[in-house]
Amino acid sequence: MELKNYFVASRFWLLLKLELFRSRRAIGMMLVITLGMLILFGLLLDIIVSDIRLVYDHHENYAASMMIGGFILSSLAFMDLSSSLRRSNYLTLPASTFEKFLSMWLLTSVGWVMLYTLVFWLYTVIVNPIAALLFGPITFQPFEPFGEYSVTVIQYYFVLQGIFLVAAAHFKGYVFAKTIFVLVLFTLIIGIVSYFLMRDSFLVDHECTAGHCEILDSIEAHTGWQIVKFLFWWTLAPLCWIVTYLGLKEKEV
Amino acid sequence: MITIDKIAFSYPEKRDVFDSLDLSLSGGNIYGLLGKNGAGKSTLLKLIAGLLFPAKGNIEVLGFKAKQRYPDFLREIFIVNEEFFLPSSSLREYQMLYSRFYPRFNEILFDEYLRGFGLDKNQKLSTLSYGQKKNFLLSFGLATDCKVMILDEPTNGLDIPSKSQFRKIVANAIDENRTFIISTHQARDMENLIDPIIILDEGQVVFFEHYETISKKLTVSKEKEIDGKKNIVYAEPTFGGYTVVRPNDAGGETNINLEILFNAVIHSREKIKEVFSA
Repeated sequence: MELKNYFVASRFWLLLKLELFRSRRAIGMMLVITLGMLILFGLLLDIIVSDIRLVYDHHENYAASMMIGGFILSSLAFMDLSSSLRRSNYLTLPASTFEKFLSMWLLTSVGWVMLYTLVFWLYTVIVNPIAALLFGPITFQPFEPFGEYSVTVIQYYFVLQGIFLVAAAHFKGYVFAKTIFVLVLFTLIIGIVSYFLMRDSFLVDHECTAGHCEILDSIEAHTGWQIVKFLFWWTLAPLCWIVTYLGLKEKEV
Repeated sequence: MITIDKIAFSYPEKRDVFDSLDLSLSGGNIYGLLGKNGAGKSTLLKLIAGLLFPAKGNIEVLGFKAKQRYPDFLREIFIVNEEFFLPSSSLREYQMLYSRFYPRFNEILFDEYLRGFGLDKNQKLSTLSYGQKKNFLLSFGLATDCKVMILDEPTNGLDIPSKSQFRKIVANAIDENRTFIISTHQARDMENLIDPIIILDEGQVVFFEHYETISKKLTVSKEKEIDGKKNIVYAEPTFGGYTVVRPNDAGGETNINLEILFNAVIHSREKIKEVFSA
């Protein structure tokens, strides 16, 4: 097993530059659309709908738009596999399958997170003077790119994004819609199974206060839930990356 | 250079394309791959390029397993499919982005080929016609200096000057370290270019001979009438008589066109086999 068959830094750099050049319009459009949506929904609509507040918070917008934008971008990651003509070009490009996977993973995970966080931070910088100009003495809470909330959102994104990469390497066309459909179906099935398994536990008397619920607390403390959490944080993403890589490796025209 | 060892391949829910195909191709030749529609020509080319995987058997190209698609293998093979996709960049941008993956890419040769086809580097690929795009890809592929060049129906969609230019460029580009495999239905466009001739039929290589051998073994004549079927390998009616293929008993070299050779092989396979095994 020779390393040069899998990874050569100079070749990987060439591939990364090629992918960046080819995706430049998609990334640009994604950022402009996201910025537009933030201004429309995060600034204008937020203030118009609840115009009695003086301090507004952006953090939920950061999470939602980063997830949606990133998932759409990840769905477009292996666009070259969508038709047999494009696939032929992509598969015969002299770079290894690992390099092809790694370049797409970097662009759609680390690349997207960094670029989007930067754009969002810029947005929060410009939004205060704009809002003050349009609506008077109101302010938006400052956005901390390295704050606890942002880091948690980024962690969730890193894990969940893998699912969309798997789909991008396996589905032909309409990747985002098909992935959402599969996820909804999967969630429904899990929801129904969980309901039948835990219905009786929820029907017994139990105490719930704001933020805490006896049964949910006991589930949280349960070993099974701890295993699920461990699997989510430590195995889901690597598993998705491996499946994506294998999907690329076995791809034919 | 290329060894195909007992490969089997079929598309899902279709009959077998290949059952146990063997083929060995060496460097320094422009192989002509002929066959009826559905004979498996394009499939074979894609298998060699590592774009399809055989269900059984092995394909080795320059010592690499085609299926593994290692970068060192991919930089030595360039395939121009009958239908292809090109991005919407300019010719110059395409060269800038893709040529670096091929360490021996020769920009001077590339420019020369483009000039020969009347293409300008500042043009956008999306504004080119189908034939011009094909010429561009061919120029790029040749300039990569790859060792195996695979062309599927290369003259389809080319105008007459481009076809002449194509023949000239390919004839000049061949050397002992390089192999061309050209699949075509346009037998006349490839006359005097491809050698040896490989004919595929029903998933098998039914004919594989050098042009020199062919011209020593077979002779073609125009005859007004055919007297019985004695000593005839194949005959087909033409305007005012018949084109007749016979064993070349006289011993000298004759000129046989590819179309009649192809028809003779397909329709009189056993007789052809007898002539060439004698």
